[in-house]
Amino acid sequence: MKFTFKSSFTILLTISSIFLVFLLNEEGEIPILFNLLTFAGIYGLAAIGLNVHFGLTGLLNFGHAAFMGLGAYVTVLLIPHAAGREGVVVTTGLPFFLALLIGIISAALFGLLLGLPAIRLRGDYLAIVTIAAAEIFRLLVRDLESVTGGVYGIINFSNSLQQYRSGFIDNFASSNELNPSQIWIAFLSWTSIILVLLLLRRLTNSPWGRALRAVREDEDAVRALGKNAVWLKLQSFMLGAGIAGLSGVLLAFNYGTIQVSTFVPILTFYVWAIMILGGVGSLTGPIFGSIIFWVIISETTGIAQLIFENANGQQIAGVRFVLVGLLIMLLMIFRPSGLMGKKEELLLDVK
Amino acid sequence: MSNKYLEVTNLKKSFGGLKAVDVQSLNLNRNELTSIIGPNGAGKTTFFDLISGFQDSDEGKVFLNKKNITKSQPYSIARLGMIRTFQLTKVFDRMTVLENMMFSASSVNNDSFMKSLIRLPSQKTTEKNIKEKSFEIMKDLNIDHMANSYARELSGGQKKLLELGRSIVNDPSILLLDEPLAGVNPKLAEEILQIILNLSEKGISILMVEHNIEAVMKISQRVVVLAEGMVIADDIPENVRTDEKVIEAYLGSENE
Amino acid sequence: MIEQLGNGLLLGIIIAVASVALSLLYGVTRIVNFAHGEIIALGAIATLFLSSPVDSRVIFLDRFSPLGNNFYISVVISVILCGLLGGILEFFLFRPLRKAEVGNIAVLVVTIGLSLFLRHIYLLFNAKPQNFPLELQRRETYLFFDMTPRNFRVLILGIFVMVLIGLFLNYTRIGKAMRAVRDSNDLASVSGINSDNIILFTWISSSMLAGLAGVFQATINDVRYNMGFLILLLIFAGTVLGGIGTSFGAMVGGFIIGIVVNVSVGLPFMEGHTEAKNAVALAIMILILLFRPQGIFGEKERVS
Repeated sequence: MKFTFKSSFTILLTISSIFLVFLLNEEGEIPILFNLLTFAGIYGLAAIGLNVHFGLTGLLNFGHAAFMGLGAYVTVLLIPHAAGREGVVVTTGLPFFLALLIGIISAALFGLLLGLPAIRLRGDYLAIVTIAAAEIFRLLVRDLESVTGGVYGIINFSNSLQQYRSGFIDNFASSNELNPSQIWIAFLSWTSIILVLLLLRRLTNSPWGRALRAVREDEDAVRALGKNAVWLKLQSFMLGAGIAGLSGVLLAFNYGTIQVSTFVPILTFYVWAIMILGGVGSLTGPIFGSIIFWVIISETTGIAQLIFENANGQQIAGVRFVLVGLLIMLLMIFRPSGLMGKKEELLLDVK
Repeated sequence: MSNKYLEVTNLKKSFGGLKAVDVQSLNLNRNELTSIIGPNGAGKTTFFDLISGFQDSDEGKVFLNKKNITKSQPYSIARLGMIRTFQLTKVFDRMTVLENMMFSASSVNNDSFMKSLIRLPSQKTTEKNIKEKSFEIMKDLNIDHMANSYARELSGGQKKLLELGRSIVNDPSILLLDEPLAGVNPKLAEEILQIILNLSEKGISILMVEHNIEAVMKISQRVVVLAEGMVIADDIPENVRTDEKVIEAYLGSENE
Repeated sequence: MIEQLGNGLLLGIIIAVASVALSLLYGVTRIVNFAHGEIIALGAIATLFLSSPVDSRVIFLDRFSPLGNNFYISVVISVILCGLLGGILEFFLFRPLRKAEVGNIAVLVVTIGLSLFLRHIYLLFNAKPQNFPLELQRRETYLFFDMTPRNFRVLILGIFVMVLIGLFLNYTRIGKAMRAVRDSNDLASVSGINSDNIILFTWISSSMLAGLAGVFQATINDVRYNMGFLILLLIFAGTVLGGIGTSFGAMVGGFIIGIVVNVSVGLPFMEGHTEAKNAVALAIMILILLFRPQGIFGEKERVS
């Protein structure tokens, strides 16, 4: 990342939005801040995965929640957990990191499967296919109670990961009166972001990244020059889905449970909003987009209180989603390159 | 040994009952510069699409260097050395001119995910060579000063040159050029013709669709005339110029 | 099974009306409108607000029921309101985007934002699922389908509307112009009629149809803020199945999807999995897109 005006402005905006948290809250700022930073890390990671699909390759994926969900369900079901109405306890399981690896690979393979329609379809059809596949995933998860716990969800799996929590996290948490489990997840999320970004920087600046961008620009020309555009698209689908899978696992561990309501379309739209805000096609953009987005989200309670007396949870959620919808629309209309996107590489005229 | 490089037999394609291409036989010799002409809607571009794999033929066979490429994927045909351009220039708009060139010059092996992940030194060397090669060709085409501009910033003529350069850097054995002179000013057209002649002299077989009859007659060794999807003449330029059927086909289409 | 077929026909006509509306809009404007579901929901929600005292959290609308007992006038006004919304969206949002030559993909993302926005505006007005103020009716037998007289009227009205759309597209000047724009993919090629007006008219008529579909839907289910979003994917399925951009295809596709959703409950492997019935319809849609992306009635050229 070069320190241009754009990136300096973005960093400044991110820092001021964090200050806003201190300004708007009279007490408990630190827990609020760390809570939103945890979510920002997890969702930012998901947005980075989505950017591989859309920003890098031009693939319209609206089923991101399913990639995240598949990674989460596979990982959690492979480690000790309790699931379903009866809370059936499974005490045996794989070591966490092996389960995580399998979870990520499953998400990537699901990406491969969902990428197949992309071979023949134009962008807008792909949007419909991915959103429908995510809905099928949601319905199946809900329905297959014996495997996924159905509407009763999965609980008691956190320890597999929390047992690796290092002492300095505990010390930091206790000295700031924070929940150590969440700080551990926050730490892991941001570490993952750094690792994934290093990986992606390496890949996008490589001949492989160049080929992906060529696919985004003109598939026919790519074929005419002897490159297999389909395989490149599928590789991109797998890579982005794998990253989404990892973020889904982190999300599940942050909640400590998995519910059917966790991996729903609204999650996908959040990730889209973050990606557009941060900048389509920008590697680091989603990080800043995610932090600013979550500051807005965490302050919606205040906005809701302005509109309704004693706003209840549903009204706060309503105000939140109205804002997210508005944010997506306004950005797409007035600043489609987001905070960090390159204007020259804008995807506006993609057909 | 026969000198046939590209062999097309009985190639047919129709759209909703309307015959677009119906070529009984068309052979292209190695190192030959052949042009295809014909009135609008004669099936020239469809013919290109069929032999380069962008459309599937209804029947018929296409051989490239004795290898059956009928209904092969476009990319595998391209890997055999047959590179095509498009009537509506297709450059990678939001990539730089140099990236356009290097993408084409880079081999599938060099592009691979694993290689790019591990960053083998061999890939670095290859990239360096590709870059040099791309610059050489860009210099020849006089677009090297634009190397770091986005391709979308080029003028129409420069885009034509870039597309040509991108094809050349791919080391083709046969080039299919779809209207390389379309929408280009006369001076640049002259330059492009010279480039095509140079390529031909270097031993690259060339098949070209072009509307500029004068240019075609000047540089082609052989001219094929298509009308309503069929070959109505296939000869040296001088003979085609005076062929009755050709004159009739052109006049007929103008009268419509 | 027969009973399911009756339900299927009913859902089928709802999806068919909504699919034709979606397909008409796509055909003329090339916009995949993800906010279609919210226009559908508006039809039902406006009818509810106008015809019955609603338990609304918004103070000034609490117990507000201007048309009290007149349900049918409420429906008509609601459908007109939907048309108005469509016209406003075209005039203030999509026309400026078109003039700025914003690409289809960007517009698609805008419709997704719009969908989230509208849906949760509805949520703020009224979150609790409610029913239309209509008396309960006993099922009766029509031919060999069991349904209530009201459902039967919806079915007949739906078929009537379909016929009307067909006549409109084939025999009126503006209908023919809409078809010409759709088939040629080129607005400039239609002479004589201002293309902006055709598009505005398409938005209005598509939205009115969507609103009517919403009213239909609310006669078999309750009215809730996300009712449009819940049915949107089935509408996509219907549209895609018939061939996106063909009105007749969308109609048939919508019918098939409605019937598939209900009849699939009776399939052996679906036993005890009725919750997942929509998944079958969506899976069919994905398979269609994989193997015959132009749909049953679409022409091949349209797709790639």
